[in-house]
Amino acid sequence: MKQAHWLLFAAVLVLVPSLALAQKKPAGKGGTTAPTATGSTTGSAAGGGTIDLDQPQGDQPQPTGTATAGGTGGGICEIDPSACPKGQDLGEAAKKEYKKEIYAVEQIYVLRYHRVELTPYWGFTLNDQFVSHPGPGLNANFYITNVFAVGLNGNFYDGLNSPSDFNFQTRRSTRVAVPLNEYQWSAALNFTYVPVYGKFAGFGSFIFSYDLYATGGVGAISTRPIPVIDPDNRTFSFVPKVCFNLGIGLRVFLTRWLAVTGEIRDYIYPEQLEALTIASGAVVGPTDPNYKNSPSNPATWLQDGISLTNNFQANVGLSFFLPFSFEYRLPK
Amino acid sequence: MRKAASLALAIAVASGVVTTTERSAHAQEIVLTGPLKGAPPVIKLRLYREGRLEIAPMIAFTLLDEYQHGYLFGGRINYYITDWLAVGVWGGGVVSSNTDLTSQIDNIAPRNEFTATNVAPCVPNGAVTQPAATCPANTNHPSFSDQTAKMAWAVLPQVTAVPFRGKLALFQALFVDTEAYLFFGLGAVGFNQRANCGDPTANPAQPACSAAASFNTTGTALFTLSGGIGLTFFINDLVNVGVEYRVLGYVGSGVNRGGFDSRGLGPGENFPDGKVNGQDATSNIDNLIGISVGVMLGRRKVSAQ
Repeated sequence: MKQAHWLLFAAVLVLVPSLALAQKKPAGKGGTTAPTATGSTTGSAAGGGTIDLDQPQGDQPQPTGTATAGGTGGGICEIDPSACPKGQDLGEAAKKEYKKEIYAVEQIYVLRYHRVELTPYWGFTLNDQFVSHPGPGLNANFYITNVFAVGLNGNFYDGLNSPSDFNFQTRRSTRVAVPLNEYQWSAALNFTYVPVYGKFAGFGSFIFSYDLYATGGVGAISTRPIPVIDPDNRTFSFVPKVCFNLGIGLRVFLTRWLAVTGEIRDYIYPEQLEALTIASGAVVGPTDPNYKNSPSNPATWLQDGISLTNNFQANVGLSFFLPFSFEYRLPK
Repeated sequence: MRKAASLALAIAVASGVVTTTERSAHAQEIVLTGPLKGAPPVIKLRLYREGRLEIAPMIAFTLLDEYQHGYLFGGRINYYITDWLAVGVWGGGVVSSNTDLTSQIDNIAPRNEFTATNVAPCVPNGAVTQPAATCPANTNHPSFSDQTAKMAWAVLPQVTAVPFRGKLALFQALFVDTEAYLFFGLGAVGFNQRANCGDPTANPAQPACSAAASFNTTGTALFTLSGGIGLTFFINDLVNVGVEYRVLGYVGSGVNRGGFDSRGLGPGENFPDGKVNGQDATSNIDNLIGISVGVMLGRRKVSAQ
C-alpha cells in the first residue's frame, strides 16, 4: 500500500511539468498548439523572441505546429464527437481574416524618453497682412522625460519676405504709409511639454496616434525696416533683437519614428519701425554742420521707442525621432 | 487517513490526466468557438451623432484683417443622417471693429485732391486736424471707417463628414472622446461696402466719388463657397466643445475692403479711373476660427457590435 502511494505521487510529478509545458513551451515542439490569432505573438515574446513593432501583425513570426484536435486524436472529439471540428472547418478558419489583437490597456504608440526629435519645417505668416515672412526652419528637441523636452529651433527668412500689394494700394489711395519690416533669421532655446496624446480611427479602418504639445523659449531674431517712407535716402541693416516664443503643435505619427507636425508659434520681440516723417533739412554729408537734421542722417530714420511685435507663424513639417526604435519597459 | 491520502492522490492523477488530455482541444476551442471568435475591434461603440440633431452656438473671428475685424455670433445646426454624415446650416450675424490701420488712416490721412475719391472727408472722434468743407455740420462722418467693407451676416447650408474619431488623454488623467470633421457648403455672405459711384452713364443716380454721400455703404449679398476642418471634444453624451477653421470664398467680383478706386484705367487697368465699381474689388477670401459649444438632441445610440 505504501508503495502504491509513492507510485501515485510519482505519477503526479510526471504530470505537473506537462501542465506547465502547455503554457511555456514554444509552439511547434509540443505539437499541440494550433496557430491562433491571439496566442502567437504572446507565445513568441514569452519564449524570448523579438517582435518588430512596425511590422504588420500578419508578418510577425508565427509558431508552427500541427493541430491534432481536428483529426482523430482524443480531446473534445472523444468527449463530445458533435463538437469535434472537422477538416473543412479548419480550412475555413484558416482563410478567415482576423482582427489585430486588442489589449485592455494599450501601450503608448510612441515613447519619446531620451530620444532626439528633428523637425524640418516650412513656416507661414498668420497675422501680417502687410509683409509675409515664409521660410524654412529646423526644430531639434531632446526628450528628458517622455513628455518634457529641451531643444533649439531656427528660422531662415532672408530673401523670402514678401510685401503684399495691399500696402501699395493703401499708400496710393490714402497717402498713408505703413512701416514694414523684414526678417533675416531667428534662433531660440525652447522647452516643450506634451500634455495631450490620443488616437483616431480613420474611416473605421485604420488608426493613427497623435499628440499635442506646448512649447516656449527665448532667443533672438534679426530684423530690419523696409524703407517705404523715404527709400531714396534710407537703407537699413539687420539687427538682432531678443525674442520670446510661445506655441502649440500637433504631431500625427505615421510610424514610431516619423510624424507630420503642424505648429502655431508666436514670436514676440521689440521691433524698431521706420520713422513716418522725413527730416526737414537738406541732404548733406556727415561732415556738414546741418547733417543732424538731414534726411541722410541714419539717426533720423527710426521712430523713437520700440513696438512690441507678435509674429504668428504656422509651421508644417516632418518629425524624425532618433533612434528609430525603442524598447518598452513592460511587455504588452 | 491513509484512505483519504490515497483518494486525494488518485484525484490529482485523474485530473492531471484529464487536463493533459484536453490540452490540445483547448487550443482549438479558442480558434473556432472561443468567445472572441469573430469579435469586432470595438463593441458597443458610442454613436454620438447618428439620428441626432446638434445645435452649436458659435463665436468666430476673422484672420488677417486689413481694415475691419469681424466677430461672428451664430452657430450651426446639423442633423446627422449617419454617425459620419450630416446636413445642416451654419451662419450668424457679424460685428466689426476697426483695425489699427483704419484708425491710423482715419486720423492722419490727408484730405486733399489726391485722396478725395478714396478717403471720406471727416475725421472721427473730434480729432479734426484737417477739417474738410464737405463734412456735415456737427458730425464727424463720413469717416474712413464708415467706407470700409464690413461683413454683416452669413448663411451657408453645408454637408459635414466625420471620418476620424478617437480619444485623447490630457495629462494622462483626463480622457475625452474626440472627433475630427470636414465640411463643405455654399450659400451667401452679406457685406456692407462702399456703393458704386462716379459712373453716371451706368446709373444717373450715382454720385461723384468725391461727394460725401458716395462714401456711404450699401448691403450686398455675395454667393459664397465654404469649407474647413474642425475638432469636437465630447464632454458627455449631450454636450461637446468644438473648434474649427473655415474658409469663405466669394464667387464673382469679391469685396472692396477699403472702398478705394484703385483700378479701371491705364495699362492693365491698374490705375484709378474715378469710379468705384466691381473692378476695384480686392479680396475674395476670408478665414475664420470658430469656437462652439454643441448640444446633441436625441438619444445617443451604441453600435450593435
